[in-house]
Amino acid sequence: MSASGFVAALGRALEAGAGAMSWENVARVWRDRYFARHAKNVDDFGFDPKFNAAVLPLFEFLYTLWWRVEVTDVENVPGEGAGVIVANHSGVLPWDGLMVNLAVRHEHPAHRQCRMLALDMFALLPFFAPLLARTGGVRANPENGERLLRRGELVGVFPEGVKGVGKPYTDRYKLARFGRGGFVRLALRTGAPIVPCAIVGAEEVHPKIGSMDWVGRPFGLPFFPITPTFPALGPLGVVPLPSKWSIDFAEPVEVETFGPQGADDPILVSRLSEQVRGTVQRMLDARLARRQSVWFG
Amino acid sequence: MSRGRIAVTGIASFLGSRVLRALAGSHGGKAVVAVDIAVPEPALGVRHRVIDLTDPASGQTLLDALREEKVTTVVHAALLTNPSRDKTYTHELESIGTLNVLAAAAAAGVGHVVLRSFTAVYGAHGRNPAFLTEDRPLQPNQSLAWARDKLEAEQHAASFARRYPAMNITVLRMAPLFGPGVRTFYTAIFDKRLVPVLMGYDPLVQLLHPDDALAAFVNVIESHVAGAFNVVPVRAIPLLAALHLAEKLPVPIPHPMAYPAAELLWSAGFAGAPAGFVDFVRFPFLADGDKARRELGFRARYSSREALEAYLRYRHPGRALRPAVAGA
Repeated sequence: MSASGFVAALGRALEAGAGAMSWENVARVWRDRYFARHAKNVDDFGFDPKFNAAVLPLFEFLYTLWWRVEVTDVENVPGEGAGVIVANHSGVLPWDGLMVNLAVRHEHPAHRQCRMLALDMFALLPFFAPLLARTGGVRANPENGERLLRRGELVGVFPEGVKGVGKPYTDRYKLARFGRGGFVRLALRTGAPIVPCAIVGAEEVHPKIGSMDWVGRPFGLPFFPITPTFPALGPLGVVPLPSKWSIDFAEPVEVETFGPQGADDPILVSRLSEQVRGTVQRMLDARLARRQSVWFG
Repeated sequence: MSRGRIAVTGIASFLGSRVLRALAGSHGGKAVVAVDIAVPEPALGVRHRVIDLTDPASGQTLLDALREEKVTTVVHAALLTNPSRDKTYTHELESIGTLNVLAAAAAAGVGHVVLRSFTAVYGAHGRNPAFLTEDRPLQPNQSLAWARDKLEAEQHAASFARRYPAMNITVLRMAPLFGPGVRTFYTAIFDKRLVPVLMGYDPLVQLLHPDDALAAFVNVIESHVAGAFNVVPVRAIPLLAALHLAEKLPVPIPHPMAYPAAELLWSAGFAGAPAGFVDFVRFPFLADGDKARRELGFRARYSSREALEAYLRYRHPGRALRPAVAGA
């Protein structure tokens, strides 16, 4: 689509003859090329449906063919209204968020869009930040999360945060601490149900066997991973390994009965947070016990 | 509130002149006093007091003027949109000038003061939430004297609001103006062919149509509602989309280079703004217009894109904007 837009614009410019290479025409060609892939109106958080449609084929290739994602019990995600999907984080790059989003989009009867709350390390990174926003990601902070939930949107969070994506391969599928329970407070304040979600397969896509954190520090990265392919293979090292994925959803935890004032009760918050963490860990353990191969499931 | 006169400062500024004209039209010239060293259009028939807000004695002269003219509402629009190299002057005008206006208004028993402010006082930061609400602490970008003076003006307003509860102080934090008649350092960017942008960054920006800004002023002048309010357009627009709509060629520059380059160009007199403004094209500073909607019933009529298109039509009346190939 973008290529044809570019060709059409180029053709029009050439048709105009010798004067076609004026500044104005170069700018017009550039503009047409831009709007072939970008919508003129984005939503409040910068989600660009047109851009999303343009990059979707790549993500769908990863989803169906590369990782062959298997999804169970997706009906546990509410069909309408607010909801918080809480999943384990892994894999150096936030592929897991993308795949949860696609899982809910494709497999859920309501075909809902899930807004992933992204870590600062991704949401503040040059190039990454606009990419994330255009594909529906939102920087994780309480204000943004609450705004989305109040609008009745589905929100995906990874409470492990940097500790999750940056953990070494030897610690795979061992859940790190669940932050400070921010996702529980979000759910309590808005009355949104919490849906625990376990992702298996993402830990193996970029197995982190070492780190050179000092390389990433000047660029604002909290860690700089060494994987079997990165940085040894250069840009090719960013290609994720084709493990077999599964995404399991558990029964939602209803928190509406506690009321919004529950968010100010730190004991309740940590109890619910631990409960969700326990559920996710149990689902991971059950799935891993059944798994025979990293590559074939 | 008894119906006295309305004083308007900063009538040489774009918004100040628009407010003055609107008030002269709705209330009649006799009910409006222009307080400025600039002379108002004679056709408006408004009263005029020549007072220099940077004059240390302006507090007293202003007080006398407000009393003699029986002013009940002051619209303070004497704040500069364009950054100036004369930091002493801007500080005297914006921070101390606002202090003088507030002090004189409080002493004269003025019932309502409206202060023009900027959403930029929140500061553009990577960690900003997607929407800044009015209760967000104001953290203007360090190193930016332009924003510091605005912050001080706001702090004076907040302090007077505490000390003089009988005086209603309304602060209107406006998103950057874009539209017919607006000529600022940032609209000047849209007069160039090549526009430097930061590589790997594309923040959403809010562009406010001047008609919406004026409507917000008229709204609070009539309703006298106190407090700080964000005045923002219907929708934001990605910076790159705005530049492409205007048929500009964005030139990506790595941000570590952009700051020193901008400072150098500013110091050399080529650029319209110092390096501190680079943050405003790097990070978002989107404000939430919900409070104005709830408490003032104010709803912007234009989106950022419409404001930009109105500006482009005003700047290039001959040029029709051609639609992009792939449709809307």
